[in-house]
Amino acid sequence: MSSNKYFKHEGPWSDANDPLMVSDTGDWRTKRPIVDKEKCIFCGFCAMYCPIQVMEMVEASHFTPDLDFCKGCGICAKECPKNAISMEPEGDF
Amino acid sequence: MAAKKGKLTKVLDHLKHEDPFSKGVAFCPGCGLELLLRFIPQVMGNDIVITGTPSCSAPVLLGQNNQSWHKLSYFGTLMTGAAANATGLARYYRKAGIDNTVVCFNGDGTAADIGFGNLSGAAERNEPFIYICYDNEGYMNTGIQKSGTTPFGATTTTTPKGSVHKGKNLRRMNLALKMAMHKIPYAATATLSDLDDLAKKLLKAKEAKERGFAFLHVFAPCTTGWGYAPENTIEVCRRAVKTNYFPLWEAVDGKIRMTKTVKKPKPVKTYTELIKKFAHLTEEDHQILQDDIDYEFCILGGLSVLEGECQLPVSAQD
Ligand code: SF4
Ligand code: SF4
Repeated sequence: MSSNKYFKHEGPWSDANDPLMVSDTGDWRTKRPIVDKEKCIFCGFCAMYCPIQVMEMVEASHFTPDLDFCKGCGICAKECPKNAISMEPEGDF
Repeated sequence: MAAKKGKLTKVLDHLKHEDPFSKGVAFCPGCGLELLLRFIPQVMGNDIVITGTPSCSAPVLLGQNNQSWHKLSYFGTLMTGAAANATGLARYYRKAGIDNTVVCFNGDGTAADIGFGNLSGAAERNEPFIYICYDNEGYMNTGIQKSGTTPFGATTTTTPKGSVHKGKNLRRMNLALKMAMHKIPYAATATLSDLDDLAKKLLKAKEAKERGFAFLHVFAPCTTGWGYAPENTIEVCRRAVKTNYFPLWEAVDGKIRMTKTVKKPKPVKTYTELIKKFAHLTEEDHQILQDDIDYEFCILGGLSVLEGECQLPVSAQD
């Protein structure tokens, strides 16, 4: 359980002092999505289909995944119409 | 950086509300259910109360110990009484004059098998809530057993491929059509490859629940249970639609209408080839599956052609 830097809101059933639970799902990743900014046409398909909704908009120019939580499923890379996202082995980083 | 030529997909415009889920939740990578669960409150708003049963969704929706994975209110029920519990909640809110949306969110095991009796009852009584069935074609959370919506030929742990049997040797049932025949204000099918369609249907369901029961059947593939690569989740949905394996339609006040017509449906093989649970199917098995799909689609086609001619009488409200 990582310290929660994203949600300070208490859950409906939780102790009033507890933040929401968060797992470090970024640790599960075996492949990492790398976005090619030049190829990206800013269509938003990757953001819309990412099951975890971690594709973040960068200055209305491209999207980039939140690697703390991206599980590396590869859906964004598969659905990108411009093949702007490549999945690189996590061991390389 | 120079402005990009591309146009942002309009689906993102539907996401008007905050995602109430914590970022790191315990769903498999590539899980269709996770996308659906995060999508629903972003479209419908966070003022919803979810009720649901033991299922893949429950560990996340219910929380663990005294902590929670999300900010929504959730009410955990038994599989045998999911819709009955939601009925109680919805009636309470209506009586108390609280404007709230109760979403009964269950898998196909609860909706099609174990909890079908009270689902059918709630629909017949036209209770004012939304029932969403996410269909991953089996009991995935307990170890991938077959359910009523598991299609012909699919292997599960209770219908394995062996020397005698080759996967499920029964046909699937069509839950959504069955629910539409309850003459409820809104019934629809949706899937994750067509998120614009799904968003519109969610909003229509929310609007329809003012008039009574709304049912949504969402096709949500399971990468772990079906055996396909996680990145193919959306592609599996897309091909399910393109082969008419899972046609997209809606029934507003009894009027059935296709929301997406596939001009030239592909053979079901283009769908099954992606998925390991169908890997053993022979030509003949494929034909049986194809015939089943054609049969369901034929019925649906017939019903939707009648649109206009058959108008559901104004429903009686209690
Ligand atoms: S899908 Fe591809 S082109 Fe579209 S916004 Fe994402 S990275 Fe850019
Ligand atoms: S790899 Fe999967 S989880 Fe990571 S950003 Fe892409 S779609 Fe989202």
